[in-house]
Amino acid sequence: MRPILHRSPIPGLGLSAGITITMLSLVVLLPIGALLLKGASVGFGTLWTEINTARIWTSLWLSFRLSFYAAVFNLVFGVTLAWVLARYSFPGRRIIDAAVDLPFALPTAVAGIALTALYAPNGAFGALAKEMGFKIAYTPLGIFIALVFVGLPFVTRTVQPVIDEIDREVEEASATLGANRLHTLRHVILPMLAPAALTGFALSLARAVGEYGSVIFIAGNLPMKTEIAPLLIVIKLEEFNYAGATAIGIAMLVISFLMLLLINAVQVWSRRRIGYV
Amino acid sequence: MQIEIDEISKTFGVTAALTPVSLSIPSGALVALLGPSGSGKTTLLRILGGLEFATSGRVLFDGQDATGLTVQERRAGFVFQSYALFRHMTVFDNIAYGLNARPRAQRPPKAEIARRVTKLLDLIQLPDIGSRFPSQLSGGQRQRVALARALAIEPRMLLLDEPFGALDAKVRKELRQGLRDIHDTTGLTTVFVTHDQDEAMELADLVVVMSMGKIEQIGRPQDIRAKPASAFVKDFIGG
Amino acid sequence: MSDTPNIRFRPVTTEPALVQGLVISGVIAVLAVLLFAPLIAVFYEALSKGWFAAVASLADKESLAAIRLTLTVALVSVPLNAVFGVAAAWLITKYDFRGKAFLITLIDLPFSVSPVVAGLCIVLTFGANTVVGGWLVDAGYPIVFALPGIILASMFVTFPFVARELIPVMIEQGRAEEEAALTLGASGWRVFFTVTLPNIRWALLYGVLLCNARAMGEFGAVAVVSGKIRGQTATMPITIEMLYNEYLSVAAFTLAGVLALLAFVTLGLKTFLEIRHADALAATRRH
Repeated sequence: MRPILHRSPIPGLGLSAGITITMLSLVVLLPIGALLLKGASVGFGTLWTEINTARIWTSLWLSFRLSFYAAVFNLVFGVTLAWVLARYSFPGRRIIDAAVDLPFALPTAVAGIALTALYAPNGAFGALAKEMGFKIAYTPLGIFIALVFVGLPFVTRTVQPVIDEIDREVEEASATLGANRLHTLRHVILPMLAPAALTGFALSLARAVGEYGSVIFIAGNLPMKTEIAPLLIVIKLEEFNYAGATAIGIAMLVISFLMLLLINAVQVWSRRRIGYV
Repeated sequence: MQIEIDEISKTFGVTAALTPVSLSIPSGALVALLGPSGSGKTTLLRILGGLEFATSGRVLFDGQDATGLTVQERRAGFVFQSYALFRHMTVFDNIAYGLNARPRAQRPPKAEIARRVTKLLDLIQLPDIGSRFPSQLSGGQRQRVALARALAIEPRMLLLDEPFGALDAKVRKELRQGLRDIHDTTGLTTVFVTHDQDEAMELADLVVVMSMGKIEQIGRPQDIRAKPASAFVKDFIGG
Repeated sequence: MSDTPNIRFRPVTTEPALVQGLVISGVIAVLAVLLFAPLIAVFYEALSKGWFAAVASLADKESLAAIRLTLTVALVSVPLNAVFGVAAAWLITKYDFRGKAFLITLIDLPFSVSPVVAGLCIVLTFGANTVVGGWLVDAGYPIVFALPGIILASMFVTFPFVARELIPVMIEQGRAEEEAALTLGASGWRVFFTVTLPNIRWALLYGVLLCNARAMGEFGAVAVVSGKIRGQTATMPITIEMLYNEYLSVAAFTLAGVLALLAFVTLGLKTFLEIRHADALAATRRH
């Protein structure tokens, strides 16, 4: 059997383990434990009655559905963008490359009010949409746009390094075997990018499901129509309904764990299949 | 197929990789392009395969100008130094790739593809590895799969870039004979690049010694050994 | 010598120029609508009544308090997370032990937890109606609806950033240099400061930058734990929301512009670091 810890000549084990475990427990594990403990003390029955309302199911379904659409958009766009950044040279490439990370660096509230200013009926794009007879802000479409914004970098950033590592000889081999470029892209390149792209997809999906700041401004927050699940937690807390907030919180935590499992499964699968991620 | 290289030159920016070189390769020959790194041997091979395009000069296949043919049109079986196997495909799918990539009208039926792949697996003496992935193969097995994949498209010639470069000494010896056998069975005009003079001398019918983008000497191994044309050749093969 | 300029050819590993042009234009168009337009909107709205109005709105007492609070939060939470990140990366990369993968998963956990859920967790741990929270409030140290809660929430959401940047770099660099220094008689701290730290400083700086940007901009978690008390627990993002909801557009977008500038600086430094120290940063990264 493997020992729990291999002896190492490098000092600092006690200190680094101490800091890591203490801070991890205090900042992350204790609060998450408190949520689960609260859930346990409230009891499954109560949690279920709290969650089993049309309003909450509608909001969870809305959050998940729109997050899925946004992640699919980001999957397709992210792979294309990664390819463009990794393979094409054009003026401004560096600026675009840097700007891709903007949704990571820009506070969500800033993104939220900026998107609303643009897509509200009196904003630049919103007015355009209004003329064409539809609304963007204060509809699910507006939420979709905000979720695309926050999830934009994930796929690109996971796929780009994989493209950089592709051995050009593999593409050349495909060509010498008679395949045209489109065939090579579809049957050789895309399958190689698939594991990384799926990881990025899952990360983007997880981020979107939990997203709050950038969405609440543009969503309009109409119950049963444009109310996302995280907002309901805030509302329950404002009503001092801790059991209700806990119920939704645990539901979302479960969704997060499932997503983490999905990411790990994708990585294990691709490692087994292709040798490495 | 007979290959004629007519005054081919290649420059990358300001550096000349090939000063005009000419070379005639008889049909069915097994030719080694031998030289140190930077001698232009790989560039010449890639120009033959259509992966690189000459700055000037012509390439003729069986007397017909092939300079303008794209890589797909050339139908050259190319074995890469890294083998460049598709790591997300099984060995079977790797070998079948070129057949599956054909336009629907020219694509053989599934059963015919399977029959050909099985035959090629027999030819490389690895009949049972069709369902494995490249990551599950040894270096020598990978090289042979790459060879089978190149042969599957019924190439007009076989081009190999340092085919034994990534293998250890023992496997290298075995596979030399393997390449010789496949060449003799198929009768394909075969050109391989190597920096190992032993390999070139032992395996090839015709050795082309290259240095600094020029051909130093063309000849049968015994002739080159007996009468090196320049101090460079003498030094290089003597080493 | 027959010259045949081969203009018809492109390298076999590229797409036709026309396709490239179309794809590049398409990508830039999407980014313009999704990424650049919102950014321009921030500054357009902030300056819609002129520079003076924008600057004057920043000088407002509440805005100043928000800026001060956000800086305080970042000043406490970022160094703490940096210490954690270095310790965790050291533990994970310098020793072999069972459960390492599980530990990494736990460290990454905050990335996949909704900020609102994070805030909820902190409220349920330290809120006035919990055992610990009630006791702390009685002792005069409230956590929720006060500065410590905001710091804790910011730390939760930015917890993995530094470790995530350091771990791949330290794995790549291995242990040989540290072991060599030890055989030469250096003490543990000496090894860390003279061998490890110089090797990881750019990755560390990068992680700290990202951590800082997120800490200053965190909204969801802070919205839940802060109580949004004007001039006291309203950070910059929270103040932006309050101003926006009161239709004080110039003030809201000016404050947003300040945070956007911070994002620019972060991305600018990041790009600079990547160009200058590409090899010292990890080749693969996720956020």
